[in-house]
Amino acid sequence: MIRTAWTAGILFAAAIPAIAHHSFGAEYDSNKPVTLTGTITKIEWTNPHSHFFVDVKDDKGNVANWKFEGYPPSVLSRTGWKRDLTMKVGDTVTVFGWRSRDGTNWAHSREVTFADGRKLFFGPPAGTGDGGTTPAADVK
Amino acid sequence: MKHRFVLSMLLAIAASAANKEVPRASDGKPDLTGVWQGGTTRRGNWEEANSGLGVGGTGRDPSAPANISPTAAQPDHEPAPYQPWAAKKVLESFNKRGIDDPAAYCLPPGLPRMAILGLFPVQIVQTPEQIVILYEYMNAFRVIPVNAKHAEDMAPTYLGDSVAHWEGDTLVVDMIGFNDKTWLMSTGTFHSDALHMTERYTRVDKDRINYEATMEDPKVLTKPWTVHSTMMLREGTRVQEYICAENNLDPGRYENLLKNGINFQR
Repeated sequence: MIRTAWTAGILFAAAIPAIAHHSFGAEYDSNKPVTLTGTITKIEWTNPHSHFFVDVKDDKGNVANWKFEGYPPSVLSRTGWKRDLTMKVGDTVTVFGWRSRDGTNWAHSREVTFADGRKLFFGPPAGTGDGGTTPAADVK
Repeated sequence: MKHRFVLSMLLAIAASAANKEVPRASDGKPDLTGVWQGGTTRRGNWEEANSGLGVGGTGRDPSAPANISPTAAQPDHEPAPYQPWAAKKVLESFNKRGIDDPAAYCLPPGLPRMAILGLFPVQIVQTPEQIVILYEYMNAFRVIPVNAKHAEDMAPTYLGDSVAHWEGDTLVVDMIGFNDKTWLMSTGTFHSDALHMTERYTRVDKDRINYEATMEDPKVLTKPWTVHSTMMLREGTRVQEYICAENNLDPGRYENLLKNGINFQR
């Protein structure tokens, strides 16, 4: 089953090239996935990237504010987001993404899950725009 | 009953054939007018064609959907024919994960890159005298006169000087007058101001344009480099505003990574 899904993914891969504004791999670490649940404190609908901020409480009750980066507003609108309706300050969400290389509470967001179980992508997958696995030119 | 079934099948086939016909402009040329998504062969509106996995990605991370980016080398494309010294420079950008990408500084990313990326739509407006191409990515545009000569006093520009003519049903765009500040395709694919590019747009049916770009650059490449892609019609999609400089945090973050010695290289 996993194999089938992966094969389908490869076929899809050849069909849809896409890039983001900048390299994923320079700023984020695909080996550091993170899933956090918390309360939205702020949303920035800005170019070249939108951001939202989440207050996340740990086991001891300490609260940390996390910043998540994702698609620009135009791409979000084509991905199903409605500004001021889909996600609001005070909403509880679960976010899946990858941590920033600088170790701060900053991450690249991939998927947001809302309280009612709906899911939407806020950003592209890991690895977007960072050059792939092989350079474009052969170095002899 | 059987006849009715056969009739409805024939009608359906006729309808789908009509639907695939190439729309023509008043001058009889194929009409390229429309909003398009590059780098895909999926038919349908934006939502239908991009549902499920979304857009973006390289597929390197198995936990994420696998969509290849044009900043990754394309498996169906030949390696870029760079001269040995230039290939080293391409590799340097690759190893730095493209922090020198003009797009990261909100500069025009370059062609044919911008024409075939899938994340942002491209709108073509065709008249008999000129073709206008509007790129949502970086809010860029090209105004391309048909059957005209290149300007004589060209200053080098990011997207160059384009003139077009028709060869049968294919729109051929000749481009010169580039600066050396953009990338052609994937990470690090720089070029010189001697770049000469030829684009070919062929609308093969209602939904699809076959796109081809040939790049010649004697200062950097060993031979002409041709890439093929497609642009698919996305009815109902609007090209929107994209003002990249609004809140671009990336150059500052790169500076920080370098200053603090954080390893992000391959």
